[in-house]
Amino acid sequence: MRISPNLVPMLVVALAVLALYWPLMYLVNIPVAQRALDTGAALPCQTAFECATQLRSPVLPSPQQLWNGFGNLMLPLNSPNAIPINAAVTAFETVVGLLLAGVVGFFFAIGMVASRAFERALLPWIVASQTVPIIAIAPMLVVLLGQYGVQGWFPKAIIAAYIAFFPITIGVAKGLKSPDPMALDLMKTYNASPWQTYLKLRFPASVPYLFTAFKVAMTAALIGAIVAEISTISFQGIGKMLAENSRASDVVAMWVIMLSSAVLGILLVALVNWLERLLTPWRRAAGGAAVPAKQARLSRQEGVG
Amino acid sequence: MTPVYRAVFGGYWLGWLLLGLGFGLLLWFIAAWWDQSEPASSAQKLLIGLGFLGVVWGLARVAQQFVDTPNPLIGFTPAALTLLALLVTAEALLRAYQVPPGLIPTPSRVLSTLLEVRDVLLRDAFQTVVLEALVGYLVGCSLGLLTALLISRYVFLERGLLPYAALFSSIPIVALAPVLVKMIGIDWPSKAVIVAITVFFPMVVNTFRGLTEISPLSLDLMRSYAANEAQQYRWLRLPNALPFIFNALKLGTTLAMIGAIVGEFFGANGQGLGFRIQIEAGRFGFDIVWSAIIVASVIGIAWYNLVGWLERRLTGWHVSYR
Amino acid sequence: MMQANTSPELSAKGSNAAAIVSVQGVSMVFPNGTVALKDANLEIAQGEFISLIGPSGCGKTTLLRLLADLIQPSSGTIRIGGKSPEEARKARAYGYVFQAPTLMEWRNVLSNVMLPLEVMNFPVQERRARAERMLALVGLEKFARHYPWQLSGGMQQRVSIARALAFDPQLLFMDEPFGALDEITRENLNLELLRLWRETGKTIIFVTHSIPEAVFLSTRIVVMTPRPGKIETVIPVDLPQPRTFETRETTRFFELATAVREALRKGHGYEVTE
Repeated sequence: MRISPNLVPMLVVALAVLALYWPLMYLVNIPVAQRALDTGAALPCQTAFECATQLRSPVLPSPQQLWNGFGNLMLPLNSPNAIPINAAVTAFETVVGLLLAGVVGFFFAIGMVASRAFERALLPWIVASQTVPIIAIAPMLVVLLGQYGVQGWFPKAIIAAYIAFFPITIGVAKGLKSPDPMALDLMKTYNASPWQTYLKLRFPASVPYLFTAFKVAMTAALIGAIVAEISTISFQGIGKMLAENSRASDVVAMWVIMLSSAVLGILLVALVNWLERLLTPWRRAAGGAAVPAKQARLSRQEGVG
Repeated sequence: MTPVYRAVFGGYWLGWLLLGLGFGLLLWFIAAWWDQSEPASSAQKLLIGLGFLGVVWGLARVAQQFVDTPNPLIGFTPAALTLLALLVTAEALLRAYQVPPGLIPTPSRVLSTLLEVRDVLLRDAFQTVVLEALVGYLVGCSLGLLTALLISRYVFLERGLLPYAALFSSIPIVALAPVLVKMIGIDWPSKAVIVAITVFFPMVVNTFRGLTEISPLSLDLMRSYAANEAQQYRWLRLPNALPFIFNALKLGTTLAMIGAIVGEFFGANGQGLGFRIQIEAGRFGFDIVWSAIIVASVIGIAWYNLVGWLERRLTGWHVSYR
Repeated sequence: MMQANTSPELSAKGSNAAAIVSVQGVSMVFPNGTVALKDANLEIAQGEFISLIGPSGCGKTTLLRLLADLIQPSSGTIRIGGKSPEEARKARAYGYVFQAPTLMEWRNVLSNVMLPLEVMNFPVQERRARAERMLALVGLEKFARHYPWQLSGGMQQRVSIARALAFDPQLLFMDEPFGALDEITRENLNLELLRLWRETGKTIIFVTHSIPEAVFLSTRIVVMTPRPGKIETVIPVDLPQPRTFETRETTRFFELATAVREALRKGHGYEVTE
């Protein structure tokens, strides 16, 4: 395996950040510790310098605290209060939501490509949705679904799907429209049926666009799932842990959860990347050039057409 | 005059007729049921269904005539009619089934609530949009731009920092929010920091691409002029990056609104659109939630289009406008 | 001394023989008012190699697209093997090679050649055998498993020709297939195309804007001029078959090239000495 030329610089940067973190941590924590000592709180330490790494609510947690926090929150792997199970639940909701959005988005995209009238009627709203904080609907939607008896993981998946729907629809519609006019003429010279044109030309051509959209939608769906978990009574999930520890003001735990969900987000996007490489073998070593940067860029904000 | 003529004689009269009948049916029902507190009979529900069908069918027919218009305002007509159809149908259905307003408020109720509480919402919007989103956006974008300039200049930084920047875009900001709110406090600066962080990374990645994805021939041309590095940036790299920067700026408007609103879900000083949505959703004040969402959406769209307008003014030469 | 045909109608060879392509009084006016083609008349016999040559906007691609039923004429009639273009397209009577290779990037070379066979529901066992035979015909059997991006432009265009021949149509329409290639590749592919033409006995209609290419390949050259697009004249090419690299150096080749050039420049009749 070839070692990336980025590895050494990345390690250097990571070490530099860590090296800077220590003094910064002391700098911001010592005043807090001093205040705590002044008020005469019972602390297992004498000087502010010592206390800086042992505060209950530090501004920045010490690496030692983070390490212990990880131990506490990770370790009973199957414990309902540990991160692994909760992260798995959130990931499950996100992925189900994404797939749901993929299916619905595909049908909408086909509709928009097949009928310009349909496109005229809906596309402006789908594009506008990209400029609107649709996440704001999540708290209401989850309460509403709860009222109608939709509970557990499913409403979270629905909200994830709802958030992911718009970028996916735009991406797929762009992909379905991406074939060159010459390629469409080619299918016409074969007297191909509309169905054959979709099957042999438009669907395969849209796959790279689908993955580009999935990567954007994945992060959005994850945010949707977590916000949905926070906004309602949840028994499982990253959002529930965040809400609990936020209420309990457990700063170290919040840091641990933040770092874990960052890893979760990165892993989920990496999953899409892996699937993309697996399912689009023709692009391997082509430098992923099948969706040129310009098109990826367009799909982000200009929508279709 | 011409569109009316075309509508009547251009073969679209059936579509317009269906559309008119459908809307008429729905509106008639809404008017008839305005003060009722009883659920409607099944026959009336059937009428609503027929009205909706008429509207959809009519819309599908009349939308055809707007397909090829170059005028964006006229081209928008089908979309506007679609929204209107959905709103009127929702109003009729909610009234027919007498859904409690605590669950799903009717569009008309949302509208009147919006007018009633507009002062509160405007104050919320000032806090969320101007103090949190805008301040964070400006700070985050400026820092991102500077970072990208540095990264594009020093290969070591590119290799060491850029991969992290790309990774950061897949991190869910909701997880960041509680920590930052706890660290900085529940007033607006904590949300501004959240916003700054969320817009920072796309800005770095996009600007960097704009500064470095340059045709080798252009670089050779600069070299043939014996341009120094500052001149190369001034005359080639920065202009080339402008479209990319505007992409990040446009993407950033949405991210900024999301960041500010989600940040407020984790603690606010009693003001802000996100705070309002969170609180009112918890006590079934959905008419206020919808009003807040409308305000947030209108501001989001306006902000995005403002940046888009600036972009067209400044990068009119770019291929995407040809 | 060979008398040139000043009117296209007269040059319509073999109106008594069975013409595979017959164009009568065909005009094409686009919705924006552009007259892309005006009153075109042309008869093409089985086994001919016809080049359509002319500057941009002379209607040569329009004529080809009309024959292929990719667009429909404003007036006039076109018959392909006695059928209307639409019937001919539905009967899959012709293969079309575009300016760009238009290979599907997600299919390897072999399965790109199999694409028309899949669309046309050829028996599964037959598809592979046919595609392999076509690849051998264009000399690319070693690249069957490659993806398009791994091939040079010339090789990609050869795949596209193999794809057009895969379902064994009697007619081959080629729209500036070598336009984007360098001169050396182009000359090699010209030779190869002539070999294919001889071996398969297809009728080929070939659009180009290169005079040497037209003279080298064709049995007849249809010279077209723009504004409005029309058929200026038809020049028979009497260079002996089989043509080789040396053909390009004969005096006759230069005379014919000069004749085409002058027809293009003057936009009217010409004379050429034997």
